[in-house]
Amino acid sequence: MIDVQNLSKTYGTFAAVDRLSFKAEAGEVVGLLGPNGAGKTTTMRMLTGFMPPSAGSARIAGYDILNDSLEVRRRVGYLPERVPVYPDMTVQGYIQFWANLRGVRDARRQTERVLESVHLLERRKTLIRNLSKGMRQRLGLAQALVHDPPVVILDEPTIGIDPQQVIEVRQSVRALGEKHTVLFSTHILSEAEQVCDRVIIINHGRILAQGTPATLRQQLQPGDHLYVQISGASSAAGQRLLAEIEGVQQVQPQGIGFHVRAAVRANLRGDIAQRVVQAGYQLEELRPVAMTLEDIFLDLLGREEGA
Amino acid sequence: MNGAWVVFRREVGQYFASPIAYLIAAALLLVTGLYFNADLTFSVGTKPAEPALIPLLLSFAMVFCAPLLTMRLLAEERREGTLELLLTAPVSDGAIVLGKFLSAWFYYTILLALTFIYQIILASITQPDMGHTMAAYIGIWLYGGTTLAVGILFSAITENQIVAAFLSIALLFILWMGELIGQIITNLELAEVVRQLTLIGHFTSSFAVGLIRAEDIAYYAGITALMLFIAIRVVESNRWR
Repeated sequence: MIDVQNLSKTYGTFAAVDRLSFKAEAGEVVGLLGPNGAGKTTTMRMLTGFMPPSAGSARIAGYDILNDSLEVRRRVGYLPERVPVYPDMTVQGYIQFWANLRGVRDARRQTERVLESVHLLERRKTLIRNLSKGMRQRLGLAQALVHDPPVVILDEPTIGIDPQQVIEVRQSVRALGEKHTVLFSTHILSEAEQVCDRVIIINHGRILAQGTPATLRQQLQPGDHLYVQISGASSAAGQRLLAEIEGVQQVQPQGIGFHVRAAVRANLRGDIAQRVVQAGYQLEELRPVAMTLEDIFLDLLGREEGA
Repeated sequence: MNGAWVVFRREVGQYFASPIAYLIAAALLLVTGLYFNADLTFSVGTKPAEPALIPLLLSFAMVFCAPLLTMRLLAEERREGTLELLLTAPVSDGAIVLGKFLSAWFYYTILLALTFIYQIILASITQPDMGHTMAAYIGIWLYGGTTLAVGILFSAITENQIVAAFLSIALLFILWMGELIGQIITNLELAEVVRQLTLIGHFTSSFAVGLIRAEDIAYYAGITALMLFIAIRVVESNRWR
């Protein structure tokens, strides 16, 4: 549905987006994940036909974003980061305006349908200036969906609204995936993990990694991570003991125990238990640590900065 | 062209949804009413009523009114971020600018129609030269369209409405003052060229005295088209930033 090939946007010598390539199949929810300034918004602006790319190409629903811009725009619903509204219009007038502009047949009925789906139907006569932030966000979503586009692009839809509403927005994005292809950006990792079928991590306009949240975690978490807590030994002694065990790469104090990173090998845990007991200490706790996407992300960014 | 029509309808709705449209109309009727009354008082004994009275007044007033009517149109879209949505809707940039321009011109046409009341009053007490008056009205209608196009252009250039209004007042004032500049130039040919470039030069000595000339219509249509063309290019340039 979305097919991006070497998409680039440069401002002078600065590359905001640098040879980005990815695909999204129909019905997939894809998350663009990256820190602020990573190039998420620029990528989305190119895909929605707002700005042309400097190089590379992209197709949406089979149409080229540069040569068939109008066809692409007909098939894309877009919610920019700062939900743009006309404060002096009513909720209904606003949605109907976008429906008409995008050539929706039976704009009135479509408007009511989409307002119903974002729970704003009873507020349809309200002036937009009187809506709360969360309601505006839902209004923005309604605007992006009123022409029933196959592709929906949402730029940080959960920014600046309260936690309850964040959950609602996430649920509705998740639900969108049943009928639409959704590309949405966020810099919150747990959000990407919850909502997306696939996550694309970008920084400085380049893709660092992509895959399902589960495979990303697997791929990017080399080796075993364990939490070990020992009683009877001083912190330094415990650390020395653990570090001597075959395969252990790194031991870091964490709370009252240690975070141990080790190469994957058979019977690592058994060896740890045995050595601790042999040395005359007691093993209080020994458990695997699942790295969150958050850790992976920081790890990736750290590696990139270092390189 | 559907896009231009949808934008036009929204903008006209915006004009009439805000109290400002009615306040402007009321203020206009008040000022022109006083002016008409004064002229009528003079006309009783000393001279016939001026057939192009209101158009002549508007030819100066539009230097200030046109920027106020148009400053919001594109500057606000840019400031509020709605321009991004407009530019990702399946309509051409030209349709957006054209729809907005036509809405401003439509509102101006209604204002102009309101001042027809004075012609009705005049016709009920005397026999005014209606042909002369109609020519002047057609002239000021075209003239107004051109000033509104200038306003749209500057509204496209900046996201600050005050700056947009100020810049368009400055340009319109220069175009208006051109006639005075023409008068102090001793080289006659150059003076005529300068005069032919100005808004007033194609109004006071033609439409306002009851003449409808193709060259004047071409001048207003040409300047309007030029201003709109530049405005469309400026809107388009938002895509390249």
